[in-house]
Amino acid sequence: MSIEVKDLSFRYGKIVALDGVTMRLGEGAVGLLGPNGAGKSTLLRILLGFLVPERGEGQVLGYDIRREQAMIRRSVGYMPESDCFVAGMDAVTFTAYFGELSGMPRQEAMKRAHEVLFYVGLGESRYRLLDTYSAGMKQRLKMAQALVHDPKILFLDEPTSNLDPTGRAEVLELIRDISAHKSIQVLLSSHILDDIEALCETVVILNKGKLAAEGRMADLRAIRYSLYELRIKGDGDAFRKDLESAGSRVDEMEDGLIKVYMPEAADPMDIFRAAGRTGAQLRYFVKSRTSLEDLFAGVVGVD
Amino acid sequence: MATVREKGYTHWEGRLGERRFPWWPITRTGILLAFRKKRFKFVFAVAFGPAIVALVGLYISERLEDFKAFIQDSNLIDIGPKYFATFFMNDWLLFMILLVLAYGAGGLIADDLKHNSLQLYFSRPLGKKDYFAGKMSVVAFFVLIFTALPGLLLIVFKLVFAGSFAFFLQYPWLPLSVLGYSAMLTVFFGFYILLMSALSKNSRYVFVLTFGTYIFSTVLFGILNGIFKTPYMALFSIPANLQQARAFIFGLKLPHAFPAGWSLAVLAGICGLAAVVLNRKIRSVEVIK
Repeated sequence: MSIEVKDLSFRYGKIVALDGVTMRLGEGAVGLLGPNGAGKSTLLRILLGFLVPERGEGQVLGYDIRREQAMIRRSVGYMPESDCFVAGMDAVTFTAYFGELSGMPRQEAMKRAHEVLFYVGLGESRYRLLDTYSAGMKQRLKMAQALVHDPKILFLDEPTSNLDPTGRAEVLELIRDISAHKSIQVLLSSHILDDIEALCETVVILNKGKLAAEGRMADLRAIRYSLYELRIKGDGDAFRKDLESAGSRVDEMEDGLIKVYMPEAADPMDIFRAAGRTGAQLRYFVKSRTSLEDLFAGVVGVD
Repeated sequence: MATVREKGYTHWEGRLGERRFPWWPITRTGILLAFRKKRFKFVFAVAFGPAIVALVGLYISERLEDFKAFIQDSNLIDIGPKYFATFFMNDWLLFMILLVLAYGAGGLIADDLKHNSLQLYFSRPLGKKDYFAGKMSVVAFFVLIFTALPGLLLIVFKLVFAGSFAFFLQYPWLPLSVLGYSAMLTVFFGFYILLMSALSKNSRYVFVLTFGTYIFSTVLFGILNGIFKTPYMALFSIPANLQQARAFIFGLKLPHAFPAGWSLAVLAGICGLAAVVLNRKIRSVEVIK
């Protein structure tokens, strides 16, 4: 296992950011999913040693997160969420600078900076001042500095935030290439479901600081819930309460579509029985394939 | 899917090493970035003015016969500890050091705070101490290049111009005083500039804050001295405390009638306060509680 945490807890003052999170992550691209404030960035920061957990323990590549932070940082490339650069520098100097701070010899860092800047598509503008870079370029620059020392794991915190569709597609393509072909493990933290769905085989869902779901995407889709989409005529509230009392989760969309997330053991006929009991007419009924969005809504409760 | 890659990714064959001084790249880059600023080179060159004037004075002191027509009072260029102390404490030198630091080093932390780059530093195998040492060394470079370097060179030139070691034998402790005072200025200005730099994300505000605090402390001293008529009010003034420390280190008469230890304590207190503020400000994650 490359990342393993046990009973990890952290709080900012009175606000609980992580509450007893336990998980084990293996190889490949892993998505860290959750709504804003779920504790994703806090988890990444604890893994990097930026924050000291209040309780619990963890390891990254076998290095203890409390005692061997330097070794972890040497093996990890971190791409933060916010824009960050050093004013007055060009991209080559910037990337080489952080390579050198990672422990690379100066000349090697400079050579490597050129390589990774070409890789992320900033080769032509590598001598331009960073102050003049666009949002998309800054995002790719952050990727370059995270890759310069050839890390074993890449922590990407909201890598596509604030990007236009083209920029987003470019960054996603880079992440896909890295995780698929370069034997670099990627831990991708995002609240954008499509990004995770497009790139990751495994997903960890956090909600309010707690682990809401964890596992291979395909497994989670298959075993967690059965999703049914329906439309009704009649007393919607009574129908909903009846289903919820039986352990299902019911979400009503703006267009009147009702999504029912039934526990895997439940009988779909219960929907019809509930309709009969509450006098609701079922006008539309279909079993749906659960997307990540549905899974997310099922465990987190966010549409 | 859009492709931006201009070249494929290749793994690096090398091995990451542990540096003896992991902060050195921060120092080197800090100095280089200062010189990339507009007009900084000019300010830097002008700051050598006092050293050049002192060197000319030193030369003249050894060639009094040649310059007899120009010099009315030869005591003015009587070379001794006082001459060096005067060089170190002339207003122009301190002003220029402060200008160079405020201009070239004011953004050392402010820019990192403004552009969120602290998290990039601390995602590397660097600790707070390394980051602080790297930034502090930038200030040290600029202070020492205007104090210790010319101070020691002036002693060497004095010996060269005189053609004997008599001056050195007369004041054997003078190089140590030069180094001691330079070290004290380095530590004080290091903490002072980094403190100011950590108080704002805007390096222009840092510039104003650096000069404002320095000048305001002197104005405050003047006002309080006028009211209370006691020399102890000089403890409120940064330049006055530096003067007092300088006189103590060079073995000269103290300019203010209180023990030099008080001034050293005030300067140390400012450094201590700066250390506390820096410890709070320099963190990888900005925590909003």
